[in-house]
Amino acid sequence: MFGLASPLHLRRKGVVGMNKRNFIYIAQSNPRHLYPRVDDKLKTKLLCAQHDIPVPRLMGVCRVQRHIKQLPDFLADESQFCIKPAKGSGGKGILVITERQGNHFVKPSGVHVTEEEVARHVSNILSGLYSLGGKPDVALIEELVQFTSDFDGFSFEGVPDVRIIVYHGYPVMAMTRLSTHASDGKANLHQGAVGVGIDIDTGRALKAVQHARPISEHPDTGRALNELVIPCWDEVLELAAKAFEMTELGYLGADIVLDRNRGPLLLELNARPGLAIQVANGRGLEPRVKLAAKQAATEQLGVKERVSYSREHIAPL
Amino acid sequence: MNAHRQIVIIITLLVLTGVSMITYKHRVLGFPLFATDTETVWNIESRLEFKALGGPVKVRINLPDSVSGVEILHGSEVSSSYDSGVERDHGMDFYQWSRDDALPGQQAVFLRNEVFFREVPVVTQEKPPLPITPELNEVATQVQKDFSDANAKSGAKEKNLVLKILRELNNPASEHLGVLLRDARRRSEQLQLAIDLLAMEGIAARMVRGVLLEDRQNNRSALFMLKVWLDGQWQLFDPRESSSVAWDSFIIFQEGTTPLFEVEGGENSSLRFSVLREQRASFITAVEAARNHRSLLVDFSIYSLPVAQQGTFKLLLLMPLGALVVVVLRNLVGIRTSGTFMPILITLAFLQTGLLIGLLLFIMVVGTGLIVRSYLTRLNLLLVPRIAAVLVVVIIIYGAIGIAGHKLGFEWGLSVTVFPMIILSWTIERMSILWDEESAHEVLIQGGGSLLTASLAYALMSNQIVADSIFLYPEALLVLLAAIIAIGSYSGYRLSDLRRFEPMERY
Repeated sequence: MFGLASPLHLRRKGVVGMNKRNFIYIAQSNPRHLYPRVDDKLKTKLLCAQHDIPVPRLMGVCRVQRHIKQLPDFLADESQFCIKPAKGSGGKGILVITERQGNHFVKPSGVHVTEEEVARHVSNILSGLYSLGGKPDVALIEELVQFTSDFDGFSFEGVPDVRIIVYHGYPVMAMTRLSTHASDGKANLHQGAVGVGIDIDTGRALKAVQHARPISEHPDTGRALNELVIPCWDEVLELAAKAFEMTELGYLGADIVLDRNRGPLLLELNARPGLAIQVANGRGLEPRVKLAAKQAATEQLGVKERVSYSREHIAPL
Repeated sequence: MNAHRQIVIIITLLVLTGVSMITYKHRVLGFPLFATDTETVWNIESRLEFKALGGPVKVRINLPDSVSGVEILHGSEVSSSYDSGVERDHGMDFYQWSRDDALPGQQAVFLRNEVFFREVPVVTQEKPPLPITPELNEVATQVQKDFSDANAKSGAKEKNLVLKILRELNNPASEHLGVLLRDARRRSEQLQLAIDLLAMEGIAARMVRGVLLEDRQNNRSALFMLKVWLDGQWQLFDPRESSSVAWDSFIIFQEGTTPLFEVEGGENSSLRFSVLREQRASFITAVEAARNHRSLLVDFSIYSLPVAQQGTFKLLLLMPLGALVVVVLRNLVGIRTSGTFMPILITLAFLQTGLLIGLLLFIMVVGTGLIVRSYLTRLNLLLVPRIAAVLVVVIIIYGAIGIAGHKLGFEWGLSVTVFPMIILSWTIERMSILWDEESAHEVLIQGGGSLLTASLAYALMSNQIVADSIFLYPEALLVLLAAIIAIGSYSGYRLSDLRRFEPMERY
């Protein structure tokens, strides 16, 4: 009614609202002192190295403004890389370079970027333009992920990643975000990217939504979205589950990309994962989270056992 | 103890404390429930003039007795270098002025009383004793006997009897009382006669002097009234008009034989009264009355502060309302604002400019700021210098709006200065980043959300009734705090959740 869902219906489905997410899940499962482990991507990277979690290779870190002068030399032989703020959020301030033409860099959209503009971008990152609260930041220069071709036709311009919600080590819900023309190549749902719910058990697409409306084909490429299957699904799940041991955060969003050569890589972690995943799955988080919490309280399991528990018991909920 | 139980206990305690304090102030101290209630206050100014003889002077005016249902506040007008204050002597209250060396000549002292009447249930008192029947001379006794017989025959009821006596007293050619009236020319003597006559009939009566409460009375002398015990309570009768007088239209300054005023060291004294009626918010009188009674709750509250500081606190007390609006809109409705409490600061500016002009000025400043800021983006400046540059631009915009408004005859343009410029600079900066990173749509959503929040907070905070009520019952802040804590622990859906998850209805 009035374009509003009935709260009773949502509660029956176990849909989690913003207040419950903030007040119950985040506040009670994620101690504040652990946040830097995920909010600072440099820290995350170092932790991943300790825990043998594969990530895109770190080429260099730009810590102070005078490093910027050395940047052209540093990048002289590189044609594909990605510059991102260590403390950025929501994909802000990420510069992706896929090609080089003389002194110019080329973005995936084909737009040319000069060395000066790259330097200015890094300078902005260092002065805290993209960081939470405007605090000074450092810029990470990463190797570009060689995306697998398995998603060809499912995504327009951008490359899809898989978001998995992990509750106390148990993968509870997953989706992939496919960029569209409307989203300008960004995998941002409220800018028009397509969200596809993924079955935790099989890695297959469940249903797809764009602008919170159900769709069945990709709006730009026309491919049927129900054909989408995430390759190496077992590894993807294990990667996500491992992030719990590493961060000790009870409510966690793991963003995973698939590299053609290296397989699943952990791109970033989020201590405050959004709730749109419920719409993409057409399911509420609550029953799954409750089961995961109950299981976590009864026995301490290893990564593989947790993943198989999730596939068997949590996925059908 | 887990957090949830603690929250429940804290909320319960806060609500109980707040509500019981409010109830106490309302029930016991007589604070009105809403600040809109007005009541009539009579300002009575007593002016005592006398001719000082030189040397020490002592002047006292009898103060009205405190009677239940009547609240009297005393305050002296400063009377040139007299020591003054309330004194108590033989159970009677006086207002006394004294001075060791008054210059000979005309002197005047003023006493100001504020009187207001409360509705109180009539307390039935014990019947007062009759005055001792005076020794009357033979003529008088005979007259009284005749009069009494006449009354018995006519069967007049008590009230009518009083009125009849008063009418007879006003008639020098009275059939029954004419003889006695020849010896009783003065009003007080006539009233004494009436009291004696009533005593013979078994009715208690007293002679009182005071002021008739009528608006805009100037230079009136004290009036005599007859107080008669009828139907279990004292009723007033006006001897000149031979009519009864309502209890709340006369204030008694003197009763019985106590002098109305005394002057030592002076002569040719006269006491005159001026009466002015005033309609004022009843909470003001309630606060003053509670202060008069030295009630702890009022004595240790903001009312004990100097008036100027009270004004500041009046504004401060409103801030939590703004915070509540922000909390409700963000956590229950789910409106996004740019900057958590930025809307409250904007509201404070609105309170000084008015809503429409405030909105107009805000949009002008932020809009122009965004245009300039979009150019600054190209200059590749570092963060802090960039915001500093925006700040300078904001101030230039302020100046431009102020000067242009002044030249064009829009004086409201000058009120732009009340906007907090640092906050506006940051708002411009944040909105500009939002524009680049997300979209113009998101800027409109957050900017609109902020203005909506600020406007709603303005509607609440600019409301005089709300402002006065909060000032009247600052304890309400405890209840408000409880509400904020309750919302803070609310884990149900927001209105925006219902909108956002609406597609799930269709699965």
